[in-house]
Amino acid sequence: MDAIACRSVSTSATIPPEERLVGQGIRKHDGDEYLTGRATFTGDIALPGMAHAAIVRSPHAHARIVDIDTTAAQARPAVVTVLTGAQAAQLTDEIPHSLDPAGLGGNHAVVRCLAVGKVVYAGEPVAAVVAQTPGDALAAAADVVVRYEPLPVVLDAEAALADDAPLLDESWGTNLIIGGEVGPDDFGAVAASAAHVLDGEVRGHRGNAAPIETRTHVADWDARAGRLTLHATTQNPHPLRSTLAASLRVPEQRIHVIAPRIGGSFGLKMYGNREDFLICLLAMRAGRPVKWVEDRASSLLPGTRDQILRYRVAFDDDGRLRALDVHAISNHGAASPGHGWGMAYVGALTTGAGYALDHCHVTYQVVATNKAPWGGTKPFGKDGATMVMERVIERVAQACGLDPAEVRRRNFVAPDAFPHVHASGMELDSGDYEGTLDLALERVGYDALREEQARLRGQGRHLGIGIGFELVPESADIPGALVAGFDTSTVRMNPSGQVTVLTGVTSPGSGNDTAISQMVAQELGVGMGDVAILQGDTERCPYGFGNISSRSIITGGSAAVLAARDVAAKLRTVAAAMLHTDAGEIVLRGGMAGVDGDAERQVPIAAVAHAVFTLGYLLALGIEPNLESTRTFRPANIRQIPDEQGRMQPYTTYPFAVHVSVAEVDVETGVVALRRHVVAHDCGTMINPRMVDGQVTGGSVMGISAALGEEFVYGDDGVPISDGFKTYLLARASDVPPIELEHQVTPSPVTLLGAKGVGEAGFAGAQAAVLNAVNDALAPLGVALEATPVSPPNVLAAILEAPR
Amino acid sequence: VIADPLDLRFPADADEAVALLAEDPDGSRVLGGGTWVVPEMSRGVSRPRLIVDLRRAGLGGVRVAGDHLHIGATATYADLLGSDALARAVPLLRLVAQGITGGWAIRNQGTVGGSVAAARPQSDVPAALVASGAQAVVAGPSGRRSAPVATLFRAAMCSALEPGEVLVGFDVPIAPRWGAGYVKLKRGAGSWPIATAAALVDVDVDGRCTHATLVLGAVSATPLVVELHAVLVGERADPPALAAAAQRAAAALTDPWSDALAPGSYRAAVVGPIARRALQMAFDDIREAR
Repeated sequence: MDAIACRSVSTSATIPPEERLVGQGIRKHDGDEYLTGRATFTGDIALPGMAHAAIVRSPHAHARIVDIDTTAAQARPAVVTVLTGAQAAQLTDEIPHSLDPAGLGGNHAVVRCLAVGKVVYAGEPVAAVVAQTPGDALAAAADVVVRYEPLPVVLDAEAALADDAPLLDESWGTNLIIGGEVGPDDFGAVAASAAHVLDGEVRGHRGNAAPIETRTHVADWDARAGRLTLHATTQNPHPLRSTLAASLRVPEQRIHVIAPRIGGSFGLKMYGNREDFLICLLAMRAGRPVKWVEDRASSLLPGTRDQILRYRVAFDDDGRLRALDVHAISNHGAASPGHGWGMAYVGALTTGAGYALDHCHVTYQVVATNKAPWGGTKPFGKDGATMVMERVIERVAQACGLDPAEVRRRNFVAPDAFPHVHASGMELDSGDYEGTLDLALERVGYDALREEQARLRGQGRHLGIGIGFELVPESADIPGALVAGFDTSTVRMNPSGQVTVLTGVTSPGSGNDTAISQMVAQELGVGMGDVAILQGDTERCPYGFGNISSRSIITGGSAAVLAARDVAAKLRTVAAAMLHTDAGEIVLRGGMAGVDGDAERQVPIAAVAHAVFTLGYLLALGIEPNLESTRTFRPANIRQIPDEQGRMQPYTTYPFAVHVSVAEVDVETGVVALRRHVVAHDCGTMINPRMVDGQVTGGSVMGISAALGEEFVYGDDGVPISDGFKTYLLARASDVPPIELEHQVTPSPVTLLGAKGVGEAGFAGAQAAVLNAVNDALAPLGVALEATPVSPPNVLAAILEAPR
Repeated sequence: VIADPLDLRFPADADEAVALLAEDPDGSRVLGGGTWVVPEMSRGVSRPRLIVDLRRAGLGGVRVAGDHLHIGATATYADLLGSDALARAVPLLRLVAQGITGGWAIRNQGTVGGSVAAARPQSDVPAALVASGAQAVVAGPSGRRSAPVATLFRAAMCSALEPGEVLVGFDVPIAPRWGAGYVKLKRGAGSWPIATAAALVDVDVDGRCTHATLVLGAVSATPLVVELHAVLVGERADPPALAAAAQRAAAALTDPWSDALAPGSYRAAVVGPIARRALQMAFDDIREAR
């Protein structure tokens, strides 16, 4: 805690500790706008003359498109335009890849906004209609007649790798999108001297992001000016603009992307979706604004987490890990230009991280099948990595007759061993994993729970206690991609002394805008009410990368602090001139600039700001007379150049948590009832603890929900069975116990204020803890459940299949 | 969004509803609360030309009518919960209504008649109404008819209502005070029922069973009535008797229902324990009532 105290002195000399805004759990600064329905979401936008789009999607998982007859649709009086894939291919170039697998030795997929020639998954867009009303568009879309010639379907990743598998892209000669390895390939050599070797397999199931707001776009083409405006539910307005320009053949500076308020994203709204391009193209053809609101069934298509994780682990009698070798097969679904496959790569990088495990080798294969493509989804591959590692720890504990908490303790990277380079090359900045383990065990009352478990077992009841340790690399930088470890903010004060922050990071509703306002207000000594923040507008905000990888506070927030400090320095200089003292004497606090402790020598900050603009030749001679600064915060620990082992250092911070889940299993029905869920979390310095609580709680609930039953199911024909929230079951409030939170603060040495990312916290550890808890509950029955979800049918099947 | 233009009519009574339906029996749909029909129209699964909305047809509410309780076709779950008469006379249906999730929005919207007409295997009402011995009152082009509610379920998603017919309501006999038990297995609060068991039992002064009704829901295409007299009547509700009853229930399920949330094999595996728990609950209820 000493480090935090020191930091508070060094980061801001302007406000004494008791008045610090940073660190306070301030409520959302614009919460009233959400609560009273005044906040504008993309769905609220209605432009004059606006028409509506509907998309014709493939009912087949794999088929040739023989022909498309749009006659009937076009004959409808309300129809403005109809577009087929062949037409779209004439008008646009292929969608630029967010992360092209070809750059790392994989295969390049040519994907356009509408399918051309064949479809490779059910739900793939093949044509689109624009009509007067949403109903007109839907009715016309139903009139588009597409003739298909069905092709053999492959849904299983391993089957897709077989020599005789149907190929999604014949030009590749394989369904392997990309394969690779990270870490030293030395398992055999190390295992030879270890006391034990175990092997096993863990399976993740297909889920998705499932925000409450589906994707929504309003595109407006000004034909006279040749300018395109897109209001979109996007996490990354600037990168989206860059890719739109490349595909739509419109110069980047003539495209204006605006992201209004977002109703959750969780990765679904990262840039580069086919509809991003399609809706713009439709507006350009229609010559009038076009709106599209994604239906729920389509919104559930982009997938994640569908993985087979096979492992071998070598360890000694004392439970100490010697070596780990993991082979991860990811069922990606059809190839995509999006970020989705990157989850397999990040999972490989993260596997085993946080444990002192020099010999950790991961091979990964990303396989194309006739499911809808993966889309980047929180927590971006760290879920599978966590699940396999936390199952490994449990099995090692069982094999050694040790408590699983103790096995983790023995294997964690020690608090004094940072920075610690993991086998994959990731350089962990700081941490105290054992500290969070202690906090979580104490909160849950671990020893007493173990006693209760024994007592209940005597009564034939099955209580389980599961631990899940998550280490979540955050704030990524990917060489060559529009995913950067830095971001940019502008801070601007007007002559009234009010402040506007314009930043390249965006908020999916999580509240980073509130936190950034806190940070800026503190630096400038003004109230939160005097700070306005603008995000998500490519014409007004500096070029930035939006919200991904829990980066917004670390990058955009820190950049705003740097810019605010520049403005504060100017205010102090001018105030000093007004008060006839030195700038170093001036303190900005409570809306006043003045000499600390001298009530006579104080001047309102608004008066100082006014003076800068009105008395520039008198009082502001010491500065360039503006109150504006644009700064970029670029953490120093990213390394884009590979080391001698080919490893990069792609993440800035490594927040972590220990989860303990307590579950009781009804062995007659397989129903899992969660009794408690405790999380001890550490994201370094907390800018706004209330928002941190919200993020960790939400992420944990998402992970619990995935573990318990959120599952996207396909029929054998590759047509989705899950098509809405009655067939894709999100946990509801009554399914989840209160999330009991503990916080530990281990400040990051590499970020400006010591903060680490928190936006993806919770999911991975929660999912693993629930799976472990169910296994712990059923251990006396000899049940091993090595797959999610732990839904009643799956749990009961495992119980019935267990060797007695 | 509903793609197609349609005519929405609010008949003032059941006869007017029947007359409206007669205009276009195949192109019409009857709407109770709309919790099933409206989403179907939004998904384009159903594209009717005419919607006959019963909500102003005076078919709501719950009332005592002589020796039975009349539940209107458009009575909502909230109506069931709000009826003291129902709580006294047919506690089983109160248990069912208490277990409806989705919050007040759904409890105020969903209707008993709508659930019967939809005849979805995975819903609470059909099996519970069958257990309660309800008679359905149906209005049609040739007048009114009454039929045991059990005869209304022809197949999954297919009621025995003829085109042009409208449910008016249900007459539930006000039985002697039987013990009621209702157990519902779901995959979480958002899940539709995977298995339900509705049990009604009575015991004599010695605690021996004199009556046992068990109807299973959500486990087969239509409600499944399990004959238990042979194993329970004359017996005390002890574990062996309940186990025998559970075994009967499991054996009765020969064609288990499969859907997106659970395979038939799962339903077959859980139906015995669910039946046993409902019966236990019913015996506990009658013991407390005595």
